[in-house]
Amino acid sequence: MPRRFGPYGGAYVPETLVPALEELDRAWRSARRDPEFRGELGRLQRTLGGRPTPLYFAKRLTRRGRGAEIWLKREDLLHGGAHKFNNALGQGLLAVRMGKPRLIAETGAGQHGVATAMIGAALGLETEVYMGTVDMARQRPNVERMRLLGARVIPVREGSRTLKDAINAALRDWITNVRTTHYLLGSAVGPHPFPTLVAELQSVIGREIRRQSRRAFGRLPDVVVACVGGGSNAIGTFHPLRSTSVEFLGVEAGGPKGHRVGAASLERGLPGVLHGSYSYVLQDRNGQVAATESISAGLDYPGVGPEHAYLKDTGRARYVAVHDEEALAAFHWLAEDEGILPALEPAHAIFAAVREARRRPAKERIVVTLSGRGDKDLEVVIRAAR
Amino acid sequence: MRLDDALRDARAAHRPSLVLYLLVDRARRARVSGIARAARDGGAAAIELGFPFSEPIADGPELAAAHARSLAHGTGWPDLLDTLRVVSRILPTAVMTYANPLVRRGLDRAIDEISGAGATGLIVPDLSLEESPPYRAAARAHAVCLVLLAAPGISTERLSRIARASRGFLYLVGHYGTTGGAARGATVDLRPSVAEAHAAAPQLPVLIGFGVRDAISARRTLATGADGVVVGSAFERCINRTATTSSVARFVRSIAAARAST
Repeated sequence: MPRRFGPYGGAYVPETLVPALEELDRAWRSARRDPEFRGELGRLQRTLGGRPTPLYFAKRLTRRGRGAEIWLKREDLLHGGAHKFNNALGQGLLAVRMGKPRLIAETGAGQHGVATAMIGAALGLETEVYMGTVDMARQRPNVERMRLLGARVIPVREGSRTLKDAINAALRDWITNVRTTHYLLGSAVGPHPFPTLVAELQSVIGREIRRQSRRAFGRLPDVVVACVGGGSNAIGTFHPLRSTSVEFLGVEAGGPKGHRVGAASLERGLPGVLHGSYSYVLQDRNGQVAATESISAGLDYPGVGPEHAYLKDTGRARYVAVHDEEALAAFHWLAEDEGILPALEPAHAIFAAVREARRRPAKERIVVTLSGRGDKDLEVVIRAAR
Repeated sequence: MRLDDALRDARAAHRPSLVLYLLVDRARRARVSGIARAARDGGAAAIELGFPFSEPIADGPELAAAHARSLAHGTGWPDLLDTLRVVSRILPTAVMTYANPLVRRGLDRAIDEISGAGATGLIVPDLSLEESPPYRAAARAHAVCLVLLAAPGISTERLSRIARASRGFLYLVGHYGTTGGAARGATVDLRPSVAEAHAAAPQLPVLIGFGVRDAISARRTLATGADGVVVGSAFERCINRTATTSSVARFVRSIAAARAST
């Protein structure tokens, strides 16, 4: 597995974590070749998760775009309501394989926390989830879901009290309890091997898109679109298509109109080291990490996975930022045009996809990864509408 | 005096070294020289000046809060250089900073600047051995010792590689956890690690930090065969509690006087 993507990636961590990262790297190398492990992973993806998720032609949304066809990869229909299940299941099975009885996780929107809590319950592992108090307030339904699933939610009151601070707290826990605990990191960020491990576990999205689009319209899509916070659903969409000519469009959170940086690390950040890897980071001139802002807790993060940094620099992928107001508009479009309530994270991708569709001829096909459903966001959306 | 010389001489004289960690804070500017003098008079061998970072993942609650306070006071890179110029005249100094402030400033430029301000050591708590080569090269070019950290649980082979690559001293993390950490100093048996490090790099002093807080924990820690201890969180607590340099000196003296318990 690659340790670096061009100059990006690596493992900038206290030495205490190195043995655990090496153990994880070894465990994944052997598990991914082990037919028994792969069989178990595939079986649970189908029978517990509900894979494969459908590829849906969004006819009325396409009409709104008046251009290329828009298709949705329905990860919102996956168990738990988001793509996070793919990664949580794979890493949960790895934790069992490594003999670690305890899982910890960070969560922003709560989707990864819910996925980890589900997997912890299904595999009989003790589960604790770190969550910033700002996020706990704005994603309350998910806090309740985690608790009902038997996980302990640990409030994080430091820093900006959002996703980045939850990761800090989880890393500190891991440094302390590394012998008995697996840190089930939820995005394609962090030290090696996490970015690669998460990308490979999420690649089931892109593999299914490849197969399903051939079946649905006889060829690969012209462009795939996905939202990018840390970037796990996007890398899962892009990764299996990287040696094809399919265009990649990543959509970051631009925050409220007028905010200086929003949470658009690739667009407005500079290379730096955050949470164990070298990638684009929103930061000031002293290298202090900047305060981000986004209506979607899941994208509200000042860093981004190192593979995205590389895809950006090489020009293989394009990244754009979409504002809060635009994401909210797209939420309503999808609700009214298709009867689907998207999470606010992929609502950013929907907005960019419709804009992209306008610029492209009707014969082209766009596939958007609809990474999660919107139940958790109803309160935020209703408040914004007032 | 240089950090490496001071610690090597102390090791040769079988005198345990006490290194203190002091976080740079703009609000503390007026006190720094008094604190450094009290540290010297109390018997400290060197001072690590910490540069605050917004995401201090290796730090426990005490120092994490100190990082946040320092940033709220507006501490920036020039404050680090100013503090270095003052403290380096009193005791040998090392800079302790997370990787990103160095990366942002440019590795070579940052190390050139701290060297110019008097630092002879550099410690980066989130730098693993694998990522260290460019840092080692830049430090070498500016006559700064890049001090590497080793941790409990790593293999003998890895510990030896780290000890051979480290300069100034080897910073051995005393327990599984963040700074401050475990209630009573070292909770893992560090004797084998100290012996392995000495075997791999016979000239290199081995200092243990993270969780050393008083004379008792210092004595227990020195009983591992280590050449000294690093005290951070407890020193931070002491500085925040007291305004007088005499009580800082008293705190330092109480730990510096510790000899290995047998």
